[in-house]
Amino acid sequence: MVATSTLIAVGIDGIAYGMFLALLGVGITLVFGLGEVLNLAIGMFAIFGTLMAHYLSTAVGLGSVPAFLLGIVVVGILGVTVDRTLLSLVYRSDGEERILLGIFVTLGLSILLEGILTNFFPSRYSLSLGLPRINVIDITIPGSSILVIAVSAVVLASLFAFLRGTFLGKAARTVFQDEVGALLIGVDPRRIRAIVFVLAAIVAGIAGIVYGTTATLGVTDGFQFTIFALIVSIVGGIRSIEGTAVAGILLGIVATYANFFIGAYLASIILFMTAVIILLVRPVVEE
Amino acid sequence: MTSLPLPRTDRAWTGVMAVVLAVAPLFVLESTTYLRLYNQFLIFALLAIGLNIAFGHTDQLFLFMGALAGGAAYVMAVLAQDVLGITPWLLIPVGMAASGALGALVSWVSAKRRLGVILISILTLNLQLALTEAYVGLRGITGGSTGYSFVGLGLDSIGSILGINRFAVLSYLLIVLVVLAQLVYVRLIGGKYGLAFEAIREDDLAAASIGIDVVRYKTVAGFLAAAIIGLGGIMMAEFQGTVLPGDYGFAAVDVMVLIMLIIGGIRTTFGPVVGAAVVFTIEEFLSPVGQWETAVFGALLIVLFLYFRQGLMPVLSDGVDRLRDRTASSSGATDGRS
Repeated sequence: MVATSTLIAVGIDGIAYGMFLALLGVGITLVFGLGEVLNLAIGMFAIFGTLMAHYLSTAVGLGSVPAFLLGIVVVGILGVTVDRTLLSLVYRSDGEERILLGIFVTLGLSILLEGILTNFFPSRYSLSLGLPRINVIDITIPGSSILVIAVSAVVLASLFAFLRGTFLGKAARTVFQDEVGALLIGVDPRRIRAIVFVLAAIVAGIAGIVYGTTATLGVTDGFQFTIFALIVSIVGGIRSIEGTAVAGILLGIVATYANFFIGAYLASIILFMTAVIILLVRPVVEE
Repeated sequence: MTSLPLPRTDRAWTGVMAVVLAVAPLFVLESTTYLRLYNQFLIFALLAIGLNIAFGHTDQLFLFMGALAGGAAYVMAVLAQDVLGITPWLLIPVGMAASGALGALVSWVSAKRRLGVILISILTLNLQLALTEAYVGLRGITGGSTGYSFVGLGLDSIGSILGINRFAVLSYLLIVLVVLAQLVYVRLIGGKYGLAFEAIREDDLAAASIGIDVVRYKTVAGFLAAAIIGLGGIMMAEFQGTVLPGDYGFAAVDVMVLIMLIIGGIRTTFGPVVGAAVVFTIEEFLSPVGQWETAVFGALLIVLFLYFRQGLMPVLSDGVDRLRDRTASSSGATDGRS
């Protein structure tokens, strides 16, 4: 028998992983909803954040907090660059062609980033802050897991607040629902897309950096994160932000428990097959 | 002004291709390195021919080519060595049938559920990841990540009789298979299937309304594509002498085959073979900067899709048409070959 305290500790790790996936999944959902571009580079953006923060804090020698903040800024700059160059070219086409073009261009970007980053960061890195373990009754919880959960919750909450409360957020949701309608009331979809894409990149960067404090990450993890984020986004309903967030947390918990009880291989197989089944049984909404 | 007597039909051009493919290895019979490279090129040409049928002609973006290829290889090798103990030659069709059946099942379900190209790609990508995990995880059957040793089709004994390298024998076996696959393709696309595929691609609702069974045609395309991909996977096992999960991964197979098909020209008869040749040539030139190869291929994927979606074949066949029909009027000189 596994002790209850262990179960709870594993569960908290699962929630931390799930929040991380939720942040990436929401990024995919937002960008796809606004411009029909499925960002297959999102996991690599997250890893880019982790690696930049690691580089800035070790090789450059900044303190943890400035290194992390600067790392997020660098990911944001990458986001702006990609949006201005590659995505501008993708948005010139329409419909199914744009979807395909989006898939291939972001897949190519992911491979390109992976190819470049492997040369500079060949090993696996951790952004350990040396946070103490916290003991509640019998349960030992790593402080970094709590940090991941707290930061992710704040980021998700501010994202929702942004979309609900601000003019820009409302404009984004308008484009989400009806692009022509948005144009008619004077919202420029391209501008909104640019802002939201960069926002999604920054969120991914934050996710990568925060998750890096509790896990050891390498360049090869990037693509796997993309796949999980994609699953989260599709399982949660590719146009529903709340659904994506919930799906992310659930998936993280399930994946972590499955890993703990039945081992990594079987757990991943179950995960991927669940995604396949959900893809097949859910009602087809977007075509 | 002379016009060159160049062939007009795809079948005649397939003959030309067969001759070119058969002559090329004669120059490198002594070099195992180049023969191995040539083998790999032919294996990937097979895979690309399969993807051209599924993705090119019926909009089913199969991103589980690696898993299909690996599955066929495992079925063939494990059945031959551990279960039945008979010659693997007899089990090549069984392996192809297994991957073909999986492809047909995916196509059938996707067509029934009316999944678009994006959902099919994600669905098959998930299958790819699940299956490769399974290949590694089912250690008792597949030997896990260190691979399943495959004794082979006995090509080295044929080679020693003829006094040539095992890889030279494999080259000629592969040439026969590529030409056969090419002939199947030409027949398929030139006949009623090609017309039906075209109609479905234009508008599946309109196609269905004039009596084209969309689900059936897509399923047939999925079966054929997956069977050809399975054959490629079996040949990969023969080439390596082992069935290695790493050879059938997403990056190693799917990404490369996709790039080849696009470079060569999607929905063209010779695009897959030309594309595979070009990519292996590029790879050979890149080998001095090996650690940058991934980055270069990523960049290539982006640039190709943004600026070169038509591929090389339309350019090449325009050139051929111009050489042949130099005296004819510039318009009306098309022979329907794209």
